[in-house]
Amino acid sequence: MDSEEEMYDESEEEEVSDDDHNMVMEPEVSSTTATYDSQDETYPHEVLSPEMIVQHMIDCIKDVNTIVELPATITRILLNHFKWDKEKLIEKYYDGDQEKLFAEAHIISPSRRGQASGSSNQVSVSSTTRSTRSRAAATGRSADCEICFSTLPTTVMTGLECGHLFCEQCWSMYLTSKILHEGISETISCPAHVCGILVDDATVMRLVRDQRVRLKYQHLITNSFVECNRLLRWCPAADCGRAIRVNYVDSKPVTCTCGHRFCFSCAESWHDPVKCFWLKKWVKKCDDDSETSNWIAANTKECPKCQVTIEKDGGCNHMICRNQSCKADFCWVCLGPWEPHGSSWAALQRYLHYCNRYMNHMQSLKFEHKLYAKIKAKMEEMQKHNMSWIEVQFLKKAVDVLCQCRQTLMFTYVFAFYLKKNNQSIIFEDNQRDLEQATEQLSEYLERDITSDILIDIKQKVQDKFRYCDTRRSVLLAHVHEGYEKELWEYQGSL
Amino acid sequence: MANIAAQRIQREFREVIKSEEVAKCHIKLELKNDEYTELKGEIAGPPDTPYDGGVFQLDIIIPETYPFNPPKVKFITKIWHPNISSVTGAICLDILKDQWAAAMTLRTVLLSLQALLSAAEPDDPQDAVVARQYKEQQSVFRQTAKHWTYIYAKGPHREAELEAKVSQLRGMGFEEHKARVALSTCDWNIQRATDHLIS
Repeated sequence: MDSEEEMYDESEEEEVSDDDHNMVMEPEVSSTTATYDSQDETYPHEVLSPEMIVQHMIDCIKDVNTIVELPATITRILLNHFKWDKEKLIEKYYDGDQEKLFAEAHIISPSRRGQASGSSNQVSVSSTTRSTRSRAAATGRSADCEICFSTLPTTVMTGLECGHLFCEQCWSMYLTSKILHEGISETISCPAHVCGILVDDATVMRLVRDQRVRLKYQHLITNSFVECNRLLRWCPAADCGRAIRVNYVDSKPVTCTCGHRFCFSCAESWHDPVKCFWLKKWVKKCDDDSETSNWIAANTKECPKCQVTIEKDGGCNHMICRNQSCKADFCWVCLGPWEPHGSSWAALQRYLHYCNRYMNHMQSLKFEHKLYAKIKAKMEEMQKHNMSWIEVQFLKKAVDVLCQCRQTLMFTYVFAFYLKKNNQSIIFEDNQRDLEQATEQLSEYLERDITSDILIDIKQKVQDKFRYCDTRRSVLLAHVHEGYEKELWEYQGSL
Repeated sequence: MANIAAQRIQREFREVIKSEEVAKCHIKLELKNDEYTELKGEIAGPPDTPYDGGVFQLDIIIPETYPFNPPKVKFITKIWHPNISSVTGAICLDILKDQWAAAMTLRTVLLSLQALLSAAEPDDPQDAVVARQYKEQQSVFRQTAKHWTYIYAKGPHREAELEAKVSQLRGMGFEEHKARVALSTCDWNIQRATDHLIS
């Protein structure tokens, strides 16, 4: 049996005639063990592989079930209703009105279930036909399915605890359509009109035979589990598929086993010193203004009116096309008519100043990743020239520091953009300038001087520089953090 | 999937033909092609409404995933109603969107549309202009809806006064339907309707 296909331990299930109906799930014991990043020791987090996510979900359900003692798939729906907050569920379950709770979660209260179903979460055919709530016209041994409009034997009619019966084939097609075409899983309800009772996992597994659909269903359920759960977050790296689990939510860095380091709170790359709120605002601004900032890349443009190619030779952005038949009056930056410009010019210039630097560091950071390969080759070469392995490690460390500095610098510009000028912001800008200069020097050493043959000389130079950069970066961040604590920062624009 | 859709429509079609609503000429259903993917519906305007006596035609497209997804329905007959676009005939009705259930049928859709004609939902409008008039000038709304029913849905109530205003604008060289829309939109104020048409 393919383990990925199975989801819950349903030992109580009555119909075990078909082995496939059984939903015992034994997730593969993953070789991926919980990893704690030494760098982020202050914020403990655990990386979960896809198998571990499923196991974690099952554990959550089991945890709750030792207390509430409900069928697993019902507990799953309840937990989903409470966004996987176990404490809240248990509190509401014991303190509040249970009937109301079940109604809100769109499930039939287990106390009102037919005797035949007993402790089972599955509606057996015999129990539902006995149900007087059935809307299907049960005449003798046949009934009408309200979906396909066929008159069929009652043995193929089935449904949820609400008692609305449809034929198995229609159920299967209904579920397939919801799962495959609409991509929904935890919110599929009974197909009867105004019946909101939710379909449970066991029913889906019982009625859907197609492996592809079953697999998709399980992926959707896992996905909703991670997305609803405050303490879990998908690693945003492409095709990673792992999730990070924390004990409490904070805007702190977490590192996935795939190497991606990001902010748990907003899922952006780790962005110290700027806070999530301002970064989000910035990213949105950049997206909105991408047209205006793109001009930086281009040296020439076309006249918006006559399409003649123009090179700007300096000064003001108020352009007048020299093409005698055109003479268009336009803004160099946005290529729109000049008229609305003027006072907003300063604001745009200011934005472009920060945007330029932010983009530059982002671009450089991408290049530095290529540097790793170059450095590795260099390190091997140095080892051939009677240097030991340990002696050449400084190079890798230098690139690490360089990347960290670039990343920090990138976000300092977002931070600075929204900052109001005061004494502290001047200190911050000094720190920023100092770190930026040092970082650029380090970058230069690693790009160029490393090719020189006098290795001993450059070793000292590189080591001094990266240590300086590292210290300056810590100083800058410590200053910003201190400012957060003492509320020294004032912002432009509303919170 | 297409199989069940066609099969279901066939069976539904037979049911509707036999139903008592058809016998009383309240609703009607016709096939437009042999594949059971396009149909023409017809509903009678419900009594005690401005639509009384009118016959409204509907365009029904059956999606491949029917009955798991709702049919696509719109009015072919022009109608003045807060939940139906006076321009396109598009309908704002929950059961044609997220409240659709696989156990519903074309018959229930047609009956629900008839119910919608009796009880508009101006707070959830499709046509904001009509909805505003419905809420602010109920009597003007009823008169306009009756007039539209007479003109487009073979309704029995001639609104001579309104017709005269349309003719007046036609005399100024405006196309008839455009003139009617402008007048309806401007609560039958000729001056405002003219400005509306010119701008």
